[in-house]
Amino acid sequence: MRKKIHAYIFTFPSIFLTLTLGVYPIFWALRYMFFDYQGFGEPRFIGLENFARVGRDTQFWQSVWNTFIYTGGKLILTLPMSLILAVILNRAIRGRQLLRSVYFLPTIFSASVMSIVFYIIFNSYNGVVNQFLIKMGFGSLDWLGAKYAMLTVILIAVWGAVGNYMLLFLAGLQNIPDDVYEAASLDGVNPAQRLWYITMPMLGPVMQMIIMLAITTSLKGYESIMVLTEGGPFGKTEVMFLYLYKLFFPLVSDSGSVQNIGYGSAVGFTSAVIVGVITLIYFKISKKLSNTY
Amino acid sequence: MMKKWAKVSTIALMAISLAACSSGNANNSGGSNNSAPSNNESGTNGEAVKLNFWTMDRHDMEFMQEKVDAFNSSNTDNIEVEMTVMADNYNQALEVAFSSNQAPDIFKVYDFVTGVKKGYMTPLDDLMSDEFKAQFESVLAENVNMLDGKIYSLPNTGQYWRLIYNKDLFEQAGLTEAPKTLDEMVEAAKKITEVGKADGAYGFASNFKNGSGFTRPAWAIATLSKGEGLEGYNINKGEFDFNVYREVAEALHQMKEDGSMMPGVETLDIDPLRAQFAQGKIGMYINHSSEPAVYTDQFPTDVNWEAAVVPSIDGNPQGALWVNAGNYLAISEKTPHKEAAFKFMEYLYGTELRAEYQEEGYGISVLPYVNEAANEPELNGISGFLPTENDAIYPASPAAITESRLEGLKATDALIRYILTGGDLDATINDLNTRYNQALEAVRSDGSTTIEADPSFNANDLRGSLVVGQ
Repeated sequence: MRKKIHAYIFTFPSIFLTLTLGVYPIFWALRYMFFDYQGFGEPRFIGLENFARVGRDTQFWQSVWNTFIYTGGKLILTLPMSLILAVILNRAIRGRQLLRSVYFLPTIFSASVMSIVFYIIFNSYNGVVNQFLIKMGFGSLDWLGAKYAMLTVILIAVWGAVGNYMLLFLAGLQNIPDDVYEAASLDGVNPAQRLWYITMPMLGPVMQMIIMLAITTSLKGYESIMVLTEGGPFGKTEVMFLYLYKLFFPLVSDSGSVQNIGYGSAVGFTSAVIVGVITLIYFKISKKLSNTY
Repeated sequence: MMKKWAKVSTIALMAISLAACSSGNANNSGGSNNSAPSNNESGTNGEAVKLNFWTMDRHDMEFMQEKVDAFNSSNTDNIEVEMTVMADNYNQALEVAFSSNQAPDIFKVYDFVTGVKKGYMTPLDDLMSDEFKAQFESVLAENVNMLDGKIYSLPNTGQYWRLIYNKDLFEQAGLTEAPKTLDEMVEAAKKITEVGKADGAYGFASNFKNGSGFTRPAWAIATLSKGEGLEGYNINKGEFDFNVYREVAEALHQMKEDGSMMPGVETLDIDPLRAQFAQGKIGMYINHSSEPAVYTDQFPTDVNWEAAVVPSIDGNPQGALWVNAGNYLAISEKTPHKEAAFKFMEYLYGTELRAEYQEEGYGISVLPYVNEAANEPELNGISGFLPTENDAIYPASPAAITESRLEGLKATDALIRYILTGGDLDATINDLNTRYNQALEAVRSDGSTTIEADPSFNANDLRGSLVVGQ
């Protein structure tokens, strides 16, 4: 009993903060799902109308589709790259500590600040990338224009994420006992077989968590897109959580817009369900990965 | 023993947490307390009446502080004003202050209609003398500084919209004056690009990274040319009709097609645009009267530039050029010192103070009595922005509240898509009209807006309202 009381005392501050700063705001927002509320006046109860509107809202579903493209593109590039980097930097090569730090560096920069830098690098009139392409004789591209904007935001997201996942993979790799590799080399296994038949399966449980983390982070990501394109041109890079953010906090450049708390709550709930369902499906599919050897 | 100790610790922890949560309420020195006794109005009992004045304007901070100090030392009513310049999140700070009874007595208006509906502002009608009120007669507008016929705020400075052009590039292209029609603008952009492209200079740009890339040129040109209303809202008909922007959208699209627009306009923001203009890479763009200060402090430039009245559709303007203005300060509905606050407000609207404000380049007034008294500000390029008979303040449109109920693409996004990629403009406009009017009907039916059609509105009547003797 005494132990229990101690536990309650020590966990009280964090439970209190979680409830007031984490749980309460969620319920605060969610109760408006059934109301029409712009932040002033009396909220008007409208039943399920906000959800019916979510169903009809082509803008929202377009942003969901854009989110899938963004997430897919980011994962397809990030995960293999970070795994390969981790495998290489797990070996005893010269300067590996320095290289690990260099690759990890983007993780510690603010996404917003780096996005401003990338905005300058990729701008089509005097950006470094286009200057280089012109010098090489390829002509310039409108990197943040309608045609390439999604590709550009994906590339920037990959730049920001590779180092982070590389570090997680490295941690996983270091848990694989050396004697397994030693036994394999005695059996004459080549490097490719080593990676495919030993490293990958033994990395399974770690990989399952890393992929899940990557999926949820990408589905919820919007900060760098907000700085780079604000979801434009004309909605081409609008992702789910940027769309949601704008409903609660209209951008300064969008002056004149009013808050849309009621509808925003419904969109928020729907978005959370989408992320939840995808994560569950992933867990179901990836069950095999969690087998430990 | 241990149990007792645990109980005491738990209670102590809870007490600390609760004290931390409620400490904000105990400290109400930041604003007027709603429950404070109101019998010391005007300091008659010998104690100074302390007023809190909140603003978000940082550009004029030193000037205003000087004037506030002068008021404190010179007023005979024993009123003491403390000015607070809020950093970011002014709106949120104001919300918190009002909800926790720590609201300032006098404050800069952030969102007029919302503020009045939330009961933050007090009507000024009974506080004003007829003589004082008469100075503002021509610049009062419903939903801008009035609601249901009551005045809650008064205008001060405004954003005057102009075509900003690089005279050197115009000269190189053989052009002698700013375009007066849309066709002339398209043609000028083409000529400037032909001559300047080799050096990276293009005829026209706008910041299409966000909706204001469209609204900056479109609202100015359409209000001057047709005067139907703001943001696609036709005041006479009381409904949205985006046909008002047809010619502007076509002209902007034409410039894009001609290759006369700067590459990358799709994601160009306003500051990168200004940086390029300052480097002589842009022939012309449309923006408001902040630009002289921008090219003096933020992006100092050697470019020989000037501001001219925006072109109209056919050179025969039928409306008045929209000025973004309308409200400035409000007095808190919750303050017990309304009269004292109004005395301070009256002081801030003094002719000499406002003229000095304008002359020192902090902003261009929309008040005729100030524009009559003030000399031209000492700021390069400002002369082109000074009020003319074209400029006017329009009644508010219900666009913002309508868009909160709108389903599908916003008008700015849809029209920017047309400008940059082409497509069926008729279909785009018809679709926008249908969706916006459906949403308008919804916000009208639930009382979210009371803005109705005004068949008697004529933008021509607004012309000359900001200058004396028109």
